[in-house]
Amino acid sequence: MRRDTQHVLLVLLGGALLRIAADDTYLRYVRPSHRWLLLAAGAVIVVLAAVALVRDRAPAAVSPGEGTHQHTGVERHVPWLLLAPVLVIVLVAPPALGADAVSRSGSRNAALQDADLFGPLPPGDAPELSVAEFVQRAAWDTSGSVEGREVTLIGFAVRRGAAMELARMTISCCAADARPNRVRLVGDLGEITPDTWLRVQGSAHPGSATAASGYVPALTVTMLEQVDPPPDPYEY
Amino acid sequence: MTIIDRARITSLHVFCAVLVAAILVRPLITEALSAPVLRTAATVFVAVCVQALPFLVLGVLLSGAIAAFVSPALLRRALPAHPMAAVPVAGAAGLVLPGCECASVPVARRLMAQGVPDGAALTFLLAAPAINPVVLVATAVAFPGEPRMVLARAIGSLATACVMGWLWQRAGRAGWIAARARRAAPASSGAGRWAVLAETARHDLVSAGGFLVLGGLTAAAFSVLVPPEWMDALAGQVLLAVVVMAVLAVVLALCSEADAFVAASLSMLPLLPRLAFLVVGPAVDVKLIALQAGTFGQAFAARFAPATFVVAVMCAVAAGLVVLP
Repeated sequence: MRRDTQHVLLVLLGGALLRIAADDTYLRYVRPSHRWLLLAAGAVIVVLAAVALVRDRAPAAVSPGEGTHQHTGVERHVPWLLLAPVLVIVLVAPPALGADAVSRSGSRNAALQDADLFGPLPPGDAPELSVAEFVQRAAWDTSGSVEGREVTLIGFAVRRGAAMELARMTISCCAADARPNRVRLVGDLGEITPDTWLRVQGSAHPGSATAASGYVPALTVTMLEQVDPPPDPYEY
Repeated sequence: MTIIDRARITSLHVFCAVLVAAILVRPLITEALSAPVLRTAATVFVAVCVQALPFLVLGVLLSGAIAAFVSPALLRRALPAHPMAAVPVAGAAGLVLPGCECASVPVARRLMAQGVPDGAALTFLLAAPAINPVVLVATAVAFPGEPRMVLARAIGSLATACVMGWLWQRAGRAGWIAARARRAAPASSGAGRWAVLAETARHDLVSAGGFLVLGGLTAAAFSVLVPPEWMDALAGQVLLAVVVMAVLAVVLALCSEADAFVAASLSMLPLLPRLAFLVVGPAVDVKLIALQAGTFGQAFAARFAPATFVVAVMCAVAAGLVVLP
């Protein structure tokens, strides 16, 4: 690959990083704190390419450094692969992980046991909890803080056999390490297509999140409505 | 540019043609990626690339800075004269470079080019992503009830790095490493140093970036191909579980700051297989193998990656048996 092609490719790559960090698109792939890394990396890549472009144009640019040495064999063509993420980001911008990824990750919840005693729930009629926190409390809270209480959860619909589940992915670095947390919805739900985002109000079945059920609690639904996908689809 | 040059089809022409073609067939691409499994794989692919690129950029900048500002003489003074003694020092130096494994490949290659013994540079390569403070804190957070897991991981990873360094110093051949990895940047001073930094970083980024993408593609493919039922079937068989988790660490190519959370979530498995997952992952995975093949040559990667895998599994099991009763 010629040097000038490499420069153009780097500008596109840096541009793609800046593009997804400019709005909420990056939240489909990485956690919010990654934004500044993406902006910095995108800027550095563009600057490196621009510096090389300018230096190659200058008449005295006889020191192309190591850039001119030829790789041999297939390795010569490997830089072309950098075009793949650029094209996928610009043309497709794949959506955040959804029902398909949940059904691919087994039948168990990935909730970690953080504690066996949790604080009281936030005040109010049906306080909003993250799906991960609800699963944790349902599975491990010995004080039973979610038993007999209505809670509000937001997540997307996943079909498992005949049952319908509400799920949310938890990530710690990027979508490659995503782990699902699921809640089985019980009640008259009507027709729901998978991947629809829902706000669900209901109360947990005591003792439903056990090792036997894969720590998937059951929730009797008292209210259910479709909502817009949140800007940040993951929990952390 | 000569007239002949102008008439030839160059990579820039091919490049533009690819771009135009991609934009024209965009509906087809979108259509093809509408299958749920491909969409999941595409998301994982972009996530791996987007997550790793900032760390790769950090690595190539460090590599450029070493090329421009750290002379071989300075490095020789900082390290013990004997290569065998330099290995553990390089391993301990890995403690201070926080970042994912992608950052350490260009840095290790630059250390090698500046005259650091091969074994020590490779020890640094293996130690930096595995035992830096960020990774150890993440491990402690992921295993709140098991502080020994952090200790076992640090010992297992440091042992892997040092054993591989000593092994390379003893049995490795300099010829296995591609000559281009040792090419030192031209010596310069003053403003020229910044030019060396920029050009070294740019060149490292182009060559390593393509291989990073290759690793991302592989990891994305495996992320949808590995059936989750494997985990449940492994619960009762520790030895088999160690091997399968080690292989999973290779094919899933998780970043070393996140793998502890994935390991912690596999609570149906005993701690030992999960420790193997944590020790093997930062030392050898598909993304790293691709990066190493691109940086040090295929002859190197074909020997180093399998050897590291075996050593890492053994060190993980040894550390686990000693630390985790």
